[in-house]
Amino acid sequence: MSEAEINGKPASLAAAAERSAEILTQARMPLFAGLGTDVAGARASILLAERLRGAYDHMYSSQIFADLDVVRQAGLMITTPSEARLRADVLLFVGKTPPDVWPAMIEWLAPYNNPPLDIASTPRKLLSIAPTRGAPKIDGLAIETLDAPDLHTTLAALRARLTGKSLRSTKNTLRKLDEFVEILKNAHFGVAVWCSESEGLDSLAIEMLHGLLLDLNKTTRFSGLPLGPPRAGANASGVLQTSGWMTGFPMRTSFGRGFPEHDSWQFDAERLVDSGEADAALWISAYDSSAPPWKRNIPLIALMASSITFHREPQVRIHVGRPGVDHDCVEFMREVGSLTGRRASHQSEKPSVARVLDEITKYLGEDS
Amino acid sequence: MLIHLKGGRIVDPVNGRDEAGDLWIENDRIVTEPSGKLPDDVYDLSGKIVMAGAIDIHSHIAGGNVNSARLLLPEMHTNWLPNIPTLPLSTAKWSTFETGTIYASMGFTTVIEPAIVPHGALQAHLELSDIPIIDKGILTVLGNDDFLLSLLRDGEGPAAVADYVASTLATSHGVGVKCINAGGAAAFKYNLRTFNLDDVVPFYGLSSRQIVEALQQAVEDLRIPHPLHLHANNLGIPGNVATALATIEAARGERLHLAHLQFYSYGTEGDHGFSSAAAELAEAVNRAPNVTVDVGQIMFRQTVTVSCDTLRQYNGSAMARPKKSIIYDGDSNGGGIVPYLYRENDFANAVQWACGLELFLLIDDPWRVFFTTDHPNGAPFTTYPEIFALIMSREARAEAIARLPQEAAAVTTLPSIGREYSYNEVAVMTRAAPAKLLGLKDRGHLGEGALADIAVYSPDKDLAKMFRFAHLVFKDGELVVRDGRVSHYRWGRALKVHPGYDSAIDRRLSGYYEKHFGHSRDCYAVKEHFLPRAEAFAEVACAR
Repeated sequence: MSEAEINGKPASLAAAAERSAEILTQARMPLFAGLGTDVAGARASILLAERLRGAYDHMYSSQIFADLDVVRQAGLMITTPSEARLRADVLLFVGKTPPDVWPAMIEWLAPYNNPPLDIASTPRKLLSIAPTRGAPKIDGLAIETLDAPDLHTTLAALRARLTGKSLRSTKNTLRKLDEFVEILKNAHFGVAVWCSESEGLDSLAIEMLHGLLLDLNKTTRFSGLPLGPPRAGANASGVLQTSGWMTGFPMRTSFGRGFPEHDSWQFDAERLVDSGEADAALWISAYDSSAPPWKRNIPLIALMASSITFHREPQVRIHVGRPGVDHDCVEFMREVGSLTGRRASHQSEKPSVARVLDEITKYLGEDS
Repeated sequence: MLIHLKGGRIVDPVNGRDEAGDLWIENDRIVTEPSGKLPDDVYDLSGKIVMAGAIDIHSHIAGGNVNSARLLLPEMHTNWLPNIPTLPLSTAKWSTFETGTIYASMGFTTVIEPAIVPHGALQAHLELSDIPIIDKGILTVLGNDDFLLSLLRDGEGPAAVADYVASTLATSHGVGVKCINAGGAAAFKYNLRTFNLDDVVPFYGLSSRQIVEALQQAVEDLRIPHPLHLHANNLGIPGNVATALATIEAARGERLHLAHLQFYSYGTEGDHGFSSAAAELAEAVNRAPNVTVDVGQIMFRQTVTVSCDTLRQYNGSAMARPKKSIIYDGDSNGGGIVPYLYRENDFANAVQWACGLELFLLIDDPWRVFFTTDHPNGAPFTTYPEIFALIMSREARAEAIARLPQEAAAVTTLPSIGREYSYNEVAVMTRAAPAKLLGLKDRGHLGEGALADIAVYSPDKDLAKMFRFAHLVFKDGELVVRDGRVSHYRWGRALKVHPGYDSAIDRRLSGYYEKHFGHSRDCYAVKEHFLPRAEAFAEVACAR
């Protein structure tokens, strides 16, 4: 396989980098999107975006903002997967269970074991609030389920019962709610687990859940564990952290006016392209084989770890290594909830995203 | 490269100089005047003040909690002024890039981030790598971690604790050890809502005092230059001066650094049940030569409190302004991010402000009291110039006191204090003493062989202006600031200690991580090749 392709024809990395630099410098508003890359790749992307006064976004931004919007609006109580594993005597799963997110994470939280750091260290109580048939299943373990056709109202109803506010409903519903409230109130250290991808679990529902956690903490300890985007989300959480220290803001940030400006609607990559505001894009997908979501045809440079077929062949395609597979990397590891180092499992010569972006930077003119 | 700094007033307490004189820089070091060589550059500094680069021992400039604060509060650091960035990300407010730039323009050349949990060290060092110009370092936080508490509960001796501390410093690349409300964050997970020096962490049966003593001893046994850096119990609570006094006693004459003492200097007198006990506390510090403190001055403005003391931050979250907080129960300490607005017309805030200044002015020995705001907890570090003015000028202080609620001024001794810091004392407090406290023999002074970290100021009646915009700043002999403006980025290093230890503890820890956390301990280790630039670290020798 060649290092790169220009208009579908094999090319060297240097030629592809030179052509990429041309495309990006000619653009009025270049877009750096996808950003499925490690911390080094994210750093390089943000520095390049600033230099060319473009904007940057991540392919899993909407899942990041489902949680982050609640944080920015109301705050959040959170804990780590390790604390949930070692300490939680009550695990409360909230929302429907997207099949590609949950099994491994549920396994990780070790629901079969008694929590070793809990004083009583009795078997965990497992609860679920989810629409019918959406609840998680764990072989051999009973999960107490509260049927919640609408998560907003069910979470609100729980808060009402917990805090002694009046609530009109059927006797059966009230009894069930109260059973749940009893378990939640008596938790030593409970952990609510959710995935913002879940159907019906929008920012308002997450904010209501946050309210429930605040109410519970008046008398006991209860924290939250957002699982983030599915399948580790192409390091979306790692890119979020990197963006935070480099610009002060999350992704969906633009340098168009000479300083970082964040707006999660305005600088949404898909909107920027389809509205005609962005006139060239560099798309990065080094973890998986995602293609850009937009429909409009603009000059495209694609840094890909695999050779998937695009609807329209990009002007430039550069083959990059996979973080943690072809080269060592730093990325967000959701099993531990922090940035971690990962050794290459199959070290190769394929260039990292950071290296390719450095190469492109070499071909930028003095004044860009 | 040979540079001649000519005719400035050299203020260098370590070498007993406070006089007009010359300095010579060759490459990255200060040298004696070389004979027979012409300098490449000469700077006429007549009328200027020349000091070593300043060192900040306690400023939260990096790590997961600081980054969470950035993401929690986008409204606090929005830029509005269209501007062409002259240096990468220099228009990004509260970014790592801006942090280095502002510190350097005030003449600071080394800054220590004092609160990094071992599992957050990799992110912290990545952030530090993106702070230009200055050298930096982290203090590694221990004292709420299950492994340590289990060692102590099981009665394993000081050698095991020291090995564990050293091994954790090695993987996290810390320059010292910090302990934050020893046992308090762990106790909060067991639903305790207050935690005193002799309260006991459930499950482990250990008091806060026992944890502090064990860490203090480990630091001494390992010969780490920086004493145990302690954030004591009961931060911010009326009457907590009793805790501070008891903690000084608990040091038993051994070295101990007490962080942001202002937040522990409160009595319960007066109509509000809240008063300054700073004078009494300063007296106790004066009597305890084993103790060093930093102030944690507050200033009146919007800020955000960022702390690994989750118990305290949870209790404080009711006072959040704006009303949103992050409370994070981490693997060991975690963190709490609570925005706060200090107001000049608020009685309690005014008392806090006065308490900080009383500590500055009533602790006699500038070698043992350090200049901090606990950035950003008491105030952002960008307020330092205003604080220099307050401690150096009685007049500036009187003007500020006149604006306070008079009932607040009445419960402090501040109006009666006439002391003004001299340039020499400022140089001790912000240069010489921090270098000594951290064991940095190569800086904090202007003697032969020292790193050429040099700050030159233009004296001004407006002291704040003088300290905000240094006339010239050299880092490692390189001119990086002229008239308060950074000309270009260079990249400093992170300072770290590497005390020796018995590596049997590493094997034991590997097993512990596999069993408890279900993954390898190695994923948290800060490896140099993960950082963007080579030679990211410089080692500080462990011997005192």
